[in-house]
Amino acid sequence: MRPRLLLSTAVVAAVALTAACGSSSSSSSSSSESSSGSAAVSTEYQEEHAGGTLRLTAHAAAGSIDPKVNYTLQYWQLFQAMYDGLLAFKKVGGEESFEVVPDLAEAMPEVSADGTSYTFTLRDGIKFSTGADVTTADVAASFKRIFLVSTPTAGTFYNGIVGAEGCLADPATCDLSAGVVADEAAGTVTINLVAPDPEFPYKLAVPHAVIVPADSPPTDAGDQALPTTGPYMVESYDPNTKLRLVRNPHFTEWSREAQPQGYPDVIEETFGLTVEAEVTAVQNGDADWLFDPPPADRLAEIGTEYADQVHVNDLTAMWYLAMNTNIAPFDDVKARQAINWAVDRAAAVQLYGGDNLAAPVCTFLPPGFPGHEDDCQYTAGGGDTWTGPDVEKAKQLVQESGTAGQEVGIVTSDDEVNQAIGEYVQSMLTEIGYKATLKPISSNIQFTYIQNTDNDVQLSLTSWYQDYPAASNFLNVLASCASFHPGSDSSINIAGFCDPEIDAQMQQALVTGQTDTGAADALWTQIDQAVMAEAPIAPLFTPKIVDFTSERVGNYQFSKQFYMLVSQLWVQ
Amino acid sequence: MIGFAARRAASAVFVLFAISVLVFLIFFATPGVDPAARIAGRNASPETLAQVRAQFGLDEPLPVRYALMMKSLFWTQDLTSYVNRGTEVIPQVLQAVPVTLSLVLGAAVLWMVLGIVMGTLAAAWRGTAVDPVIVLLGVVGVSMPVYWLGEVVNLITQSRLHDSVFSWVPPLGYVPITESVGQWALHLLFPWLTLSVLYAGIYARVLRAELLGAMGEDYVRTARAKGVSERRILVKHALRCSLIPVVSLFGLDLGALVGGAALLTEVVFGLPGVGRLTFNALQNVDLPVIMGCVMYAAFFVVLANALVDLVYAVLDPRVRHA
Amino acid sequence: MSSVLDAAGSASAPVADAVDPAVRGAGAGPWRTALRQLARNRSAMASLAVLVLVVAACVLAPLYASAVAHTDPFTSNVSGTTVVDGQPTPLLAPTEGGLGLGVTPIGPTWDPTRYFLGVDNQGRDVMARLLYGGRTSLLIGASSALLCCLVATAVGVVAGYFGGIVDAVLARLLDVVWAFPVYLLAICLSVVLLTSGLDVGPVHIGAGSLWLPVLIIAVVYVPYVARPVRGQVMALREKEFLQASIGIGASDLRVMRREVLPNVVPTVVVFLPLMTALNMLTESALSFLSIGVQAPDASWGTIINDGLGLLYTRPAVTLAPGIAIVVTAAALNLLGDGVRDALDPRARLRGTA
Repeated sequence: MRPRLLLSTAVVAAVALTAACGSSSSSSSSSSESSSGSAAVSTEYQEEHAGGTLRLTAHAAAGSIDPKVNYTLQYWQLFQAMYDGLLAFKKVGGEESFEVVPDLAEAMPEVSADGTSYTFTLRDGIKFSTGADVTTADVAASFKRIFLVSTPTAGTFYNGIVGAEGCLADPATCDLSAGVVADEAAGTVTINLVAPDPEFPYKLAVPHAVIVPADSPPTDAGDQALPTTGPYMVESYDPNTKLRLVRNPHFTEWSREAQPQGYPDVIEETFGLTVEAEVTAVQNGDADWLFDPPPADRLAEIGTEYADQVHVNDLTAMWYLAMNTNIAPFDDVKARQAINWAVDRAAAVQLYGGDNLAAPVCTFLPPGFPGHEDDCQYTAGGGDTWTGPDVEKAKQLVQESGTAGQEVGIVTSDDEVNQAIGEYVQSMLTEIGYKATLKPISSNIQFTYIQNTDNDVQLSLTSWYQDYPAASNFLNVLASCASFHPGSDSSINIAGFCDPEIDAQMQQALVTGQTDTGAADALWTQIDQAVMAEAPIAPLFTPKIVDFTSERVGNYQFSKQFYMLVSQLWVQ
Repeated sequence: MIGFAARRAASAVFVLFAISVLVFLIFFATPGVDPAARIAGRNASPETLAQVRAQFGLDEPLPVRYALMMKSLFWTQDLTSYVNRGTEVIPQVLQAVPVTLSLVLGAAVLWMVLGIVMGTLAAAWRGTAVDPVIVLLGVVGVSMPVYWLGEVVNLITQSRLHDSVFSWVPPLGYVPITESVGQWALHLLFPWLTLSVLYAGIYARVLRAELLGAMGEDYVRTARAKGVSERRILVKHALRCSLIPVVSLFGLDLGALVGGAALLTEVVFGLPGVGRLTFNALQNVDLPVIMGCVMYAAFFVVLANALVDLVYAVLDPRVRHA
Repeated sequence: MSSVLDAAGSASAPVADAVDPAVRGAGAGPWRTALRQLARNRSAMASLAVLVLVVAACVLAPLYASAVAHTDPFTSNVSGTTVVDGQPTPLLAPTEGGLGLGVTPIGPTWDPTRYFLGVDNQGRDVMARLLYGGRTSLLIGASSALLCCLVATAVGVVAGYFGGIVDAVLARLLDVVWAFPVYLLAICLSVVLLTSGLDVGPVHIGAGSLWLPVLIIAVVYVPYVARPVRGQVMALREKEFLQASIGIGASDLRVMRREVLPNVVPTVVVFLPLMTALNMLTESALSFLSIGVQAPDASWGTIINDGLGLLYTRPAVTLAPGIAIVVTAAALNLLGDGVRDALDPRARLRGTA
């Protein structure tokens, strides 16, 4: 199952407000066709294509339909066409999809000189799907609601708002009146922060910050959808069968780039088929798209017989092996380096789907990411890119570390691809001298399981997908001491890596990034190499995403932020 | 008789209680399933986690939590899922019941008919080639893993031969009978066939064994002596008595199936029944839904057991004092 | 799966001696008579032959892997290569043409020295794994059947013989175990035992130990066998020879051992092959849920499960173990029928597997 989007915990990022952090240009040397639609969404709405029912399929539902609670890619893709925040990522394909544009706000905010105050003017005339107008009171209430319903990112994204600390500690007495000031008469909303935060506009553009009616329940709405402002609203939601979206009768397009009108009259996502069955359904035209990644054995089929219905796009992401640096045997750096030497990244690529879907990596920062420089410390024969494993060297290191013969448990998700790679890793570990066992567990619980140090996970296979384009996203989040919370299910520094020197370097890079991106990027490159010398993880590859659509579907657009633009697909 | 019935009812209740406690304990002894973090999502701060814990009553001691959950399940009936928050358990289960019933009852009709016909034929033509062939067919049917058979059926009907021989096969899923009887039956056709293949063989062989046993009984010898033909004896006399154990077997199997034992069939064919609900809840380790499904399944199995016991008590008075 | 519980507990299994006198011979004991009767049963003998073949093939698995195929069926070989039709090809062949997505393992070469049935998604020899898998499946099936029958006999005899409170408690216990969904128990146990294994007194059972699936399957099917046994014992209790034994002052244990047990054993013996077949199928179903046999070890169930991911491109990987299970289980079932017929052709055994 596709992991959810992961958001940065960085305090300050190097990226300026509107800079197209599309400096994460489409990467490297892949030979796949990428129909990422670098053309923007057509400037005109093509009426003749409107109508019909778009039938999506997913293996399972993704939990709560409340936009302030749900944290899954599956529903975030749908929320783009349902909800709006003060700001939004541009809903186009290609590079511009990283740009933030005003949505419910009339224009980009006025920012105070010290960077702690953002003033937005609310657009007139926008209504909820119930017919009620969107007012500044709704905006204020929506921000307060973030803390009332325990939004997962409340403590990491929105803790910079004045009053947020108090709300986090005790939601019942939450008072954001100083942090979010709504002026109904002037039609403005001012958000005051405790400290400047150049990433704040991004945080306003994600679904956790959308505007919902002030009278929304102060608890997780669960399967009762809230009124929407976008082109679609929820008609019915049954997590066991399907989610049905219909057109919002009160929607009129106010900004083509922030919230374009959708083409299908109805969008229906059905749950419950096995992934194999979903692929067959799309092939037969019984469904229009599947959310889950196609199984490896079907990839060959769809890549040849159905090639023009397949869309492959680059991602800034990585799959990696996280090694617990605090318990045996990987508390010894030589053991960790041995893993990096021994793992055949090409094999992992094959198991994921072949050279056209993934490329081996050796660094923390993925190719194309600011701060990335080709460098590989663990490839046979040396060089800047990975060419092959050096199993002999790995065996030697294992012997030197004195950990040979120890038992190692590998924890992976139980879906096909993860399990296959895990099996390979187990075989590799056995080869270099460990007693390895594979422990696949349900993908619903694997991610939290491997984070909690109480579970004594030694080695795990996991992935990290960039959320919004902030340079600190990978290193600071995955390898800093602040991200390591022993005994908690939420400790994203899975390797438990905490090196005070490197931490200090990261802080410096963050500070530098406020003023000088280029210098910061150079610093991040150095940090990347320093961390990889300690090898808390073994990066495997950077993946691409495969979207398989049915024959009748047209106008496929790929946003780097939210991937396939669902509402822009047409079916007739 | 009343005493017997009362005792059976009491033991049924006890069994249900024991199962609910066991399930609850297993869940909370299972590591890696702390619901708080899963509900709060990734990268949630400790404050958020603490709030979620309080909200779901996860701070209370175990017996209190168990009592609260049982209250929600049976008394107030507002037990909600840990994963799909806001979705109540009971309505979910009740909604899935018609699907499972459709699958199981339809398959049951098929397998009974098939099983009885095959068993009778095998007994009637014992000694000829028909008998071992039927037995072999039955044995093969029973020896196949059901999810394997289902996937192979899907491979053929949905993919390989979908453009030619099986183009009339609808996509996987369920259509309620209230919407369209024809579509309902068509969608369930292959699930019925797959499930009944497994059971038809069992019933054929049980019936055959019973019939062969019955054919040696006194009343059959009497009938033979009176000149009744073998075929007639088989069908009119022996069959009636031999059907009793078959019917009791049917009752027990049906009980287990209605309770969700057909879960693998439902998963493979995409039918939103109780079995699939249980399977998904297990994968998600969604305790309230698991409790609901397990209690429902156990209820049916225990009910079927008790009914069969009662029927036997009526038929065979010796049992009442056992 | 058939739930053949003798609900009323009053199975009538008259241990009749309706054996063909010609077969019986003078002075032959019941066991020898039964064996002779079995030998005359063609389908049972054919099944036995098939079983012997299967077992022999599986036992010779190491020989096949090292001497004939020269492969290691337990080490991943994702980047490996081989020679097909004189051409060197990678074992996991990348797709040519179209978008070039995915890799496809090579299919059956029908050459016993070189990947007879092709490779699976880890590049391992399917034929070698099939043979090794047979060992595991048969081992699990047979040992859990044996364990189940032993426990069930004990429980059934004790419950049926003593009656009263003992019977009430045991019968309720059987009810609880029987009503407990197999898959739930198995999944929860597997997650619990994932990291730490099981510590029962001095015995430590590791997470990958084969004891786990054996125990789970054995425990779950105890009621299946125990109830007919219990029913039979309850009927026996009324018989004169038993009463006589009690009357002369024999202790309960002695009566159970000398009078009850010999009469119950034939019933249980019939169950053995049937339970083995049933348990093999259960093991394969548990593999579908990733429980029991762990990678890289193979059982027919895990190979089927691995093969489902290749069903659309390399069906041989999933069809071969499936057929193996069908053939073996069918043979066991037919053998079980034959044993039952031989021991008591008129037994009103309530149901078969």
